[in-house]
Amino acid sequence: MDTTTGARADEVRPPLPEPERTVPWRGRVEPFVVGDPGRAASRTVPIPDEDAWDRRDTVLDGVALLDGARGRVGEVRAASVRGLAHRAYGTVRQDEYGFRRTPDGRHLVLAVADGVSSGRYSHRAAALLARRGTEVLANELASTRPADLRWAELVRRFAGAVEARGRRLLAARGMPTADSATVREIADHLASTVLYAVVDLAPVDGAHEVHVLSVGDSSAWVLRAGGRWEPQHPVKNDGAVLHSSSVHALPLLSSTEPVPVRTTVAPGEVLVLMTDGIGDPLADGTGDVGRFLSGVWATPPASGLEFAAHVGFARRSFDDDRTAVGFWPVATA
Amino acid sequence: MASDNAKLLPFYLVIDVSVSMTGAKLEQANEIMPAVVDALADAPILSDKVRFGLIDFGTDATVRLPLCDLLDENVTLPSLTVRGATSYAAAFRLLRSEIESNVKQLKADGFQVHRPAVFFISDGDPTDRGTEWQDAFRDLTENFPIYPNFVPCGVDDANPKTLASLIHPASGPKAMQMYLMENGQNPAHAIAAIAEILISSMLASGQSLTQGSSGLVLPQKQDLPSGIAAHSSDDFV
Repeated sequence: MDTTTGARADEVRPPLPEPERTVPWRGRVEPFVVGDPGRAASRTVPIPDEDAWDRRDTVLDGVALLDGARGRVGEVRAASVRGLAHRAYGTVRQDEYGFRRTPDGRHLVLAVADGVSSGRYSHRAAALLARRGTEVLANELASTRPADLRWAELVRRFAGAVEARGRRLLAARGMPTADSATVREIADHLASTVLYAVVDLAPVDGAHEVHVLSVGDSSAWVLRAGGRWEPQHPVKNDGAVLHSSSVHALPLLSSTEPVPVRTTVAPGEVLVLMTDGIGDPLADGTGDVGRFLSGVWATPPASGLEFAAHVGFARRSFDDDRTAVGFWPVATA
Repeated sequence: MASDNAKLLPFYLVIDVSVSMTGAKLEQANEIMPAVVDALADAPILSDKVRFGLIDFGTDATVRLPLCDLLDENVTLPSLTVRGATSYAAAFRLLRSEIESNVKQLKADGFQVHRPAVFFISDGDPTDRGTEWQDAFRDLTENFPIYPNFVPCGVDDANPKTLASLIHPASGPKAMQMYLMENGQNPAHAIAAIAEILISSMLASGQSLTQGSSGLVLPQKQDLPSGIAAHSSDDFV
């Protein structure tokens, strides 16, 4: 305002208000709930594990796999979410996942691992099997076709790696018998189940061949057309589905040789590896949880964050760690 | 097929309401269930899984609270009153039929059920004839595939030898214990202490589930409230 014109005070007009320069915001975070969420879902006070500050509560990924001129060959979503019980009691997430593509781009290796609850360091075993395990497999695939992988030998090698890690870890923690302890004693401190899948990214007649190997009670599923969950377990001669009743976990080796399962996954279908934290509520896939997951996973979720929210759905009394890795093949043009 | 493997922990409190329980003891007994409700209200992980039932017994036995989710808003806690003699046999028989039908129903509803836990509180010897109570106890334990983990608790004039014979399993890695009021203690205080033990073992059992084990976890001896001592089955022979 010009104050030199001698305008009378009562003629001075107040300055115009500044125009609102804000933009609207929107968005919300709302948990998924299937049926009765129970009380724990909303009332658990999560506390940290004071012995493992660097162990993350939740990890997640959402990536597309590209193939030069062909564009996208597939979508991967992965999440590992600390269970409500571990949050409530201040214990680390003992699940882990891993995935990696072979350097030649031909194969995708996926893994989920579930550390055995009673072992204080089982999350270390799970991490080793999920990360180093997929790396070893990817290296093997440079010279070996998936059907020719020597799983028994690989599993023994992985078991040895967990055992060696355990001995080093326990020695570093001041356990005097770390060198002489039996494998079973090592397994009391760290042990993990693991499930691997090798996906051939070059489809045959549109379908990708998949080899699955499971040690323990994690499960691989293919979500078929129409929302049908098809479990990929070794099948006995009589056709009965074999469920491991006692949990086999590395470094302990089962007395029987591991049996790989072969299947295919095509565009419109989804391959999902999951630990029992999500496999248990899924059960045989025909119930509420099966319908929920087949609905939200019919197409790849928009992001890893969204996938993690699906994995972390609330349902009464299901408070275990949950981990899932999904692969959605993309149809080539 | 039910697509649900939710795991439940059934707890039963079986409590003596014979005439000798009159007065402060009964008052204290009536405080147990509200204390359990308070504890569950602060433990959402556990309260999603625990089902609780209450049976009282005098000359006969009655289900005072059918196995339920104690935090359900429709639940009304019963008020205990004294009646008659002390029939352990009636309590054991009713408990057996309750466990059998409850577990059957829960399984039909698609739940996985952990072995039930029973806290049994008495202030006196059984008044049953002959070996009636021993026979009924065998039918509840040895002759019953879904036998409960049985924790006898005695106050006042309860017979240590009798109660010790009710510890089940009596030996092995999952052996239970008995809790007895120490001599000269106030029996009403002892009942309050037993309620404390019940609650802490319920909480510990819930936590042990997340560590991959199952079953009833009883408190360590050094963690017991004062006035109560823990005994194993071979302490009284």
